[in-house]
Amino acid sequence: MDIDSTGALFQAAAKGDATAWEALVGRLSPLVWSVVRAHRLIDADAHEVFQTTWFRLADNLTRIKEPDKVGSWLARTARHECLKVIRGSRRVVPTSDIDVLSPEADEHSPEQAVLEAEETAGREATLRGVWQAYEQLSDNCRRLLRVLMASPPPSYAEIAAGLGMAIGSIGPTRGRCLGQLRRLLA
Amino acid sequence: MNDDELEESLRRAAELLDPVPVSLVEVAVEAFRFRTVDAELAELTFDSLAGTAAVRGPAQARVLGFGGPETGLDLEITGDGPSRRVVGQVTPAAHAVVEVRGGDPVSVSTDAFGRFTVDRVPPGPLSFRCRVGDAVFTTEWVTV
Repeated sequence: MDIDSTGALFQAAAKGDATAWEALVGRLSPLVWSVVRAHRLIDADAHEVFQTTWFRLADNLTRIKEPDKVGSWLARTARHECLKVIRGSRRVVPTSDIDVLSPEADEHSPEQAVLEAEETAGREATLRGVWQAYEQLSDNCRRLLRVLMASPPPSYAEIAAGLGMAIGSIGPTRGRCLGQLRRLLA
Repeated sequence: MNDDELEESLRRAAELLDPVPVSLVEVAVEAFRFRTVDAELAELTFDSLAGTAAVRGPAQARVLGFGGPETGLDLEITGDGPSRRVVGQVTPAAHAVVEVRGGDPVSVSTDAFGRFTVDRVPPGPLSFRCRVGDAVFTTEWVTV
């Protein structure tokens, strides 16, 4: 990720630039969504946590001291909200394959439509196979890999903030989990 | 596939099968227009759901505190279904106007001691804007 330009977007948004805010949302929404998904909340809770996270950032625009670390701030905020929802006795259920494999039509992004048009049937089947193998991994592996899947790829600092894990343990865990995934795909 | 290629395949799979819902991106973009620029922000200073010791059943109240000893808001939220009850008190304890920011915006007047009740608050992001005397403050957002 281009850290400098994320920081620059943040600073412009903090000065009132709505276009910079929109670009910031576009850039960091996949990270926030990945952190929320990694905590495997039910859909309604996942949507609410995502919204609360961005509302909080909007109200804190002029208070955040390290613009370059806004991704980590968002990841940490999303994680804390997820943990509270889980502690609040609200249900946590595995995201079912059906939910994920058949997203509602109105939730398709234009990018996704383009992506789908470009994908050959074979390529798409491969990705579905990768996803199904991912779903068979342990909770720990699914959690880490789901955050790694954010696009653009998150920094290790952002992953650590989103999962509450030590930066030093991310690399080894990643290697072990990708190894397990590769064996499932073999 | 090496590790990096496998990770990239996962990324492509997530973009295809579990993308950020477009409706959520739109809400996040909209948040900019509704941000607090003119009021003091009252930070969340107490939350009964924070920390590892919190063990509670769905029938128990969630207790929240915002701000400090001079100006702030204490809340108790009960209910677990599609609507919640919010009982609160503004500090300083005086007549105040409290606006609920969230899924169902509403404005209420407190009694002479800053106390108020709001029923049928939908689950989701929630924040309060309080006007007491000359002071105006807005609480941080929480998910209820």
